[in-house]
Amino acid sequence: MRRARTQIPLFLLLAGFTAVTLIPVVWTFLTSLKQPVDAFAIPPRLIFTPTFEFHAEVWIEKQFWRYLINSVVIAVCTVVISVSIGTMAAYGLSRLRGTATRGLLFSLLAMRMFPHILLAIPFFLLAKSLGLVNTYPAMILALVAINQPFTIWLMRSFFVDVPTELYEAAALDGCNAWQVFSRVALPVVRPGLWVTALFSLLLAYNEFLLALVLTGPDTKTLPVAIAEYGGEDINYWSLSAAAAIGIMLPIVVFMMALQRHLVRGLAFGAIKG
Amino acid sequence: MLAAVMLYPLGYALYLSLLNYDLGTGTRDFIGLGNYTALLSDARFWDTLNRTVFIVLAAVGLEFSLGLLIAYGLYRLTFGVRTLNLLLFIPNIITPVVAALFLRWIFMGRWGLLASTLIGLGIFPPDFLGNPTWARVVVVLADAWQFTPFMILVLYAGLNTVDLSQIEAAQIDGAGVWTLLFRIMLPSIRPLIVFVLAIRLMDAFRFFDQIYVLTSGGPGTATETITLYTYALAFRLLQVGKASALGVLTLLFVAALTALMIRVVYRRERGAF
Repeated sequence: MRRARTQIPLFLLLAGFTAVTLIPVVWTFLTSLKQPVDAFAIPPRLIFTPTFEFHAEVWIEKQFWRYLINSVVIAVCTVVISVSIGTMAAYGLSRLRGTATRGLLFSLLAMRMFPHILLAIPFFLLAKSLGLVNTYPAMILALVAINQPFTIWLMRSFFVDVPTELYEAAALDGCNAWQVFSRVALPVVRPGLWVTALFSLLLAYNEFLLALVLTGPDTKTLPVAIAEYGGEDINYWSLSAAAAIGIMLPIVVFMMALQRHLVRGLAFGAIKG
Repeated sequence: MLAAVMLYPLGYALYLSLLNYDLGTGTRDFIGLGNYTALLSDARFWDTLNRTVFIVLAAVGLEFSLGLLIAYGLYRLTFGVRTLNLLLFIPNIITPVVAALFLRWIFMGRWGLLASTLIGLGIFPPDFLGNPTWARVVVVLADAWQFTPFMILVLYAGLNTVDLSQIEAAQIDGAGVWTLLFRIMLPSIRPLIVFVLAIRLMDAFRFFDQIYVLTSGGPGTATETITLYTYALAFRLLQVGKASALGVLTLLFVAALTALMIRVVYRRERGAF
């Protein structure tokens, strides 16, 4: 069996690589269950009495639930706004042809390479002059702005797949332009809508640089909170490890549930153009 | 209308880059291209640029080679691929700040997993985050840890789009495993490769979260990239004008790099994009 002889080592090799890449995650999880005595043992201790007290402490006593609320409010508003704008714009762009459309599409793609720091400065000054620093709208608007090119491109790739005959048939049946969009196009691309929403949610939830600049004590999101917390004091190891694991969990669960759509979202436009 | 959302901040940033604008002292004078000439003759700017290019090339190079190997391994594997794919992908979706913390706990001097294991084995480890050379290695590894999965995913999807009849024909002609990969499969997914490299280069260039948490650019300026320098200028030293100029220069540099890459690859086959 030549096949088995190459397949099994190959599998072991790949599984080994996977295991190595997951060490940091597993290690942090173990740390989050350790008392300081075990966390600072040299050499590292694998056998210890686990405790969940730090998970409870960080979310309740250290008030990480507040940051979770901030993160959720900001992420959900961002998704709702940017996906609705993105969907309508993408629909428009998918039905138009010509050089102007191409130009617009390419400039959207070009915006993807903007260094976010370059946008963070004007955003910050604008928010400051409008008195919006440390408010939800500032952060939400900034996220919508940086997320927009992505939602438009991704949604467009779904609209382009809709056959034109469908629109023509709808128009013949007496639908006006808005009805063609809302009654015909939208239902067809519904799966795409979910994928776009999910990726926007991920972006908003993970975003750090803009949050660092635009949020304050009342609107701090989870990444900013953990960065301030985790870096500081080594005594808080187990606590910040618990927080880190907690922040990671929802995303992993989301992604596991929607793994089929990952490729399309990540490599958007790569194959379809 | 859409483009305006992004163009307004960009225009504002361009305008700011022409000012001697200091938030600390409140100075705000028009100095034309003064910021640009100051930066271009500043040794720290060139050091930072070199360092960034080095870190980005090392990281993206590592991600691509590793990603390609793993993707091809997965392609040849006949069982367990779905599970491995899913597990391999986890590091990529973790909030970058949290990912950086995970890695901090691995590489931290003395109590990090790596250091304490080495001490346990009787080897005295270097301070991975405190030594300039090691700090750079860690920063590159951190980027690779988080973004190799992206490469794997996209390249794996790409390999699966290669025409099977071509592969069979090559196998009949006696092509080995590696000949197949380099002569048949890679050339046929070349647009995808260029695309994914371009995306990664752009993203790596502006990446901020991980380095900020891992080393904050330290020790000294050993891991300070352009984005971190811009951040420090704008939000620590409050020299908003100069920071905007630096951001604009970064944008130009990345744009030129991407354009060059696309040109080189498509010199012979125009219009493939």
